[in-house]
Amino acid sequence: MSPTSIKSELLVSTDWVDEHRNDDNVRIVESDEDLLLYQQGHIREAVKIDWQTDLQDQTIRDYLSKDRFAELCASKGISNDTTVVFYGDKNNWWACYALWAFKLYGHEKCLIMDGGRRRWELDGCEFLREPEPDYPHGTYAAKDPDHSIRAFRDEVLQHQAAGKSMIDVRSPGEYTGELLHMEDYPQEGALRAGHIPGAASVPWSRAVNDDGTFKSEAELEQIYLNEAGLNRDGDTIIAYCRIGERSSHTWFVLKYLLGFDNVKNYDGSWTEWGNLVGVPIEKNI
Amino acid sequence: MVDQSSNRKNRLEELKQEFDELDVRDRLETLLEFSDELPDLPQRYRARRDAGANRVYECQTLVYMWVEVVDGQVEIYADVSRDSPTVRGFISLLVAALFGAAPADVLAVKPTLLTELGLVEALGMVRIRGLHAILHRIKSEVERAVGG
Repeated sequence: MSPTSIKSELLVSTDWVDEHRNDDNVRIVESDEDLLLYQQGHIREAVKIDWQTDLQDQTIRDYLSKDRFAELCASKGISNDTTVVFYGDKNNWWACYALWAFKLYGHEKCLIMDGGRRRWELDGCEFLREPEPDYPHGTYAAKDPDHSIRAFRDEVLQHQAAGKSMIDVRSPGEYTGELLHMEDYPQEGALRAGHIPGAASVPWSRAVNDDGTFKSEAELEQIYLNEAGLNRDGDTIIAYCRIGERSSHTWFVLKYLLGFDNVKNYDGSWTEWGNLVGVPIEKNI
Repeated sequence: MVDQSSNRKNRLEELKQEFDELDVRDRLETLLEFSDELPDLPQRYRARRDAGANRVYECQTLVYMWVEVVDGQVEIYADVSRDSPTVRGFISLLVAALFGAAPADVLAVKPTLLTELGLVEALGMVRIRGLHAILHRIKSEVERAVGG
């Protein structure tokens, strides 16, 4: 069905999902940019977890508390030992973001369906317009947030000052400072345009094929190791974009497809940095 | 014609009331139903759409929209991908509420409409701004058409 070869233990094909979607220890989770897409049609067994209304605190710019995350998982029939398979629209941006949030709370078994909604559709599989399935409550104890995968503002400032590796995964126009926001996403604008000084530019989209699946390991190595010069065994690497979703996609690529243990996602990203008073910014225009 | 305009004015008020009585889940379901019901773009606009005209660039979704004032009534025609049901649903809601309305009534729609419909809570802050842009675009096109 899918032409995708498995590039990582965390990446599964649409075939795999088709075979395992009824397994008791597997929960399929859809996470989309468009909130209504799941309701319009989803993989029959999938539950919905929204990056914004479910995973983020609606008052403070932050993620759910540990206890609320545990409640969310339990309500979706997810227990600590459940294998959670994420998929979604837009090349799995939000699926990767949701996976990153799950990793933040220490969920062990997380997978991505390579190619997301697009690949599922191309493979002629069904999206059903049905209510969200109701699974028996899971038993969930969330761990304290794992900040080894999340970078905060002050840490990024120190990181930048020390000249350590950073990767800016936004579009070239956003990186150079030509655009104040991602093309077509004016709601994610900032007061200043440009990039964090010292960050290398590798647009996230270079990691995917036209069908939304990830490129092969050899192709990814060429981009991130040879061209961007990132070092698997060096200091911490910080990835950022605008609001942390495209960079969680790149974070996933580096950590799980290329085996970097030293990469963090800066979810404050440009909507924080580009609005901060007094931080350095570099432009190329 | 005048009667239809006043009906249109009431239609938006009715929708606000309907949404107010719904919980978040049902508001989203209603928005999805609106998405299903967006009328197809009339034939006369399709060639221009295919040439990339009238794209709403402020919106992250592919949206093409024509807003016109004909015989004192506002007409809105739009083409939105079915892969973006939220934007499609909101535009369809605006078409249902405002098509045939008097320009003054469209210009009087408050920028807080999304809050009044309870959609800020339902959709989250980041998604709301793109929808604001659509309402803003409709109002500015109407303003331009009536020479405001």
